[in-house]
Amino acid sequence: MTVNGPLVVEQLTVEFIHDGYAIRPLDDMSFSVEPGEIAVLLGPSGSGKTTLLSCLGGILTPTSGSIRLGDIDVSSLPPGDLGEYRRTTVGFVFQAFNLIASLNARENVAMPMLLNGVARKDAFARADELLTDVGLAERAKHRPAMLSGGQQQRVAVARGLGQHPPLLLADEPTASLDHIQAEGIIRLLRKLRDAGRVIVVSTHDARLVPIADKIVKMVPDEEHGGTHVTGELSLAAGASVFEQGDRAEVVYTITSGEIAIVRVLADGGERELARLGPGRYFGELGPFLGFPRSASARAVTDVVLEAHPPTVFRERLLRPD
Amino acid sequence: MFLLTLRDLAHRWVRFVVVSVLGALVFALLFVMTGLVEQFNLEPADTVDAIGADGWLLPDGLSGPFTATATMSASTLDELQAAESSAVVAARTTIGGAVEEQEGVLLGVVPGQLGVPVVDEGRAIAASGEVMVDSSTGADVGDAVQLAGESFSVVGITTDTKLFAGLPLVTVSHDDSQRLAFGAGDVVSGAVVNGAVEAVPEGTQIVSADDVVAATLEPLEGAISSIDLVRALLWILAAIVIGAVVYLSALERQRDFAVLKAVGTPNRALLGSLAIQAVVVALVAVAVGAVIQLFLAPRFPLRVRLPASAYWQLPVLAIVVALVAGAVGMRKVASADPAAAFAGAGA
Repeated sequence: MTVNGPLVVEQLTVEFIHDGYAIRPLDDMSFSVEPGEIAVLLGPSGSGKTTLLSCLGGILTPTSGSIRLGDIDVSSLPPGDLGEYRRTTVGFVFQAFNLIASLNARENVAMPMLLNGVARKDAFARADELLTDVGLAERAKHRPAMLSGGQQQRVAVARGLGQHPPLLLADEPTASLDHIQAEGIIRLLRKLRDAGRVIVVSTHDARLVPIADKIVKMVPDEEHGGTHVTGELSLAAGASVFEQGDRAEVVYTITSGEIAIVRVLADGGERELARLGPGRYFGELGPFLGFPRSASARAVTDVVLEAHPPTVFRERLLRPD
Repeated sequence: MFLLTLRDLAHRWVRFVVVSVLGALVFALLFVMTGLVEQFNLEPADTVDAIGADGWLLPDGLSGPFTATATMSASTLDELQAAESSAVVAARTTIGGAVEEQEGVLLGVVPGQLGVPVVDEGRAIAASGEVMVDSSTGADVGDAVQLAGESFSVVGITTDTKLFAGLPLVTVSHDDSQRLAFGAGDVVSGAVVNGAVEAVPEGTQIVSADDVVAATLEPLEGAISSIDLVRALLWILAAIVIGAVVYLSALERQRDFAVLKAVGTPNRALLGSLAIQAVVVALVAVAVGAVIQLFLAPRFPLRVRLPASAYWQLPVLAIVVALVAGAVGMRKVASADPAAAFAGAGA
């Protein structure tokens, strides 16, 4: 497959059904990356970075929305063509290196090519070329256990480039590396970008931000819901405090009235998880962990709430007086 | 595919060696068991062939001369009209003297006539007081052996003349056999015949050599079935050994397979890699097992006669068993989720 064009993601949504309720790690996401650009997917764990990479790499089929890479409509490729797409169009670099322990560096780079029918001589010639490119020619005969983390990651990058893929997907490529090794990988990614590839890197490592041509924030925007108002808040019976999936910024304590915590199920129904009265607090896990709301909160009666930023809430919890 | 398989086997060589040795012991026993069954099946045919008769005249209702004791008057044979015939006596006896005391099958024949087994060493019996014995007795030409308390001189050695899983055939003159078996001179077990038979005495029948062989095998059917059962259990054991190592390999390499799938490697290539591993383990185990059985077989009290076909049938069967046993591991590979390649180092 040859690709001449940008990576365009439009209104991408992925929804999983788990234990009867729906989880949306990706909700209506759109962005584009031009050839020769690095896009950095920035977000905490659980924000959908790996899910997005899986969709871009043709491993996971999105629930809705589209992914286009040049002329290829990735999201509508039939399952039978996804293997070919991954083989010829996408290079993968995994967080845990994922090199095969029994193979040396040269064989690790050549193996996907060999298993995909490339002639032995050509596969090893390409492996030698790639290892030279990533500065590991002299380590070609070393097994992963004899390589440092940075060297292993460079071998993994070389492996991802075996079939000259126009799209390179890197999942937390610097997560397991010290700053010297991370610097080597960042330098390598810049070099690969200059060769005209589309590079998408998922990370929560701020060291990658300066090399990004585009930053895709993986936390929901404010318009995706959720109030950030702090202080006293009065709501009428039946009103929503927040909805499942909203961005979580504040923790609530109940001054008066009654609040129901409900989980929205995949079939549109709801299951009540708890009913809370005056003096109780709710919605604390999302702001502390950086997760979206895992349930909705509704006013059962007229309520008066106190909304606190997490830091203030923690202080009050520790020193109630 | 081969590179991936061989490197993995080399990487986990300790396990590979342990499993191969374990598998080799199982296959060595399978070779030996196969050789024993072959021996049981061929033993009566060899002995009947050595006696050299087309058929046996026996009392009605008897399926073979060695499996039941029934006699007829020697004078009955006067009514037999056949191209060639000779009276025989068949009975059980004990052998002792120069050899370790053991049970044997006594055959009494008229010297120089039909029914004298083929001799491999020495000469055939020519007179009373002489005996031919099977080589498994351990006797040599010139030894004096005791048959039912009487001393006989060994004049000839026969080979592959055993019955009932290793009982040696001892051949004496017709007169001696009548005395040893019946204590009387006018009684015989029957006669051996060759060529056309025109008339048989009343109350007798001609049993073909093939039917005699089949009748002699009957008492061994239980033993052969038992060995076949052990063989089946050994195959199951071999399948478990090979299947376990392939499954373990698939389990440990789940991440490797997920990564290779993620980069577009088709399932068939990965399954092929695991299948090759199963076949390599099986073939190495069979090859080592074939060598082990060479040392093991001579130590068995019974002759282990491995048919030449076993040297290709066992490996072929082992490959089939390995592939079937490896199917569980292969299913694990087929179900490997390429998305697992994205899991973190600790996953």
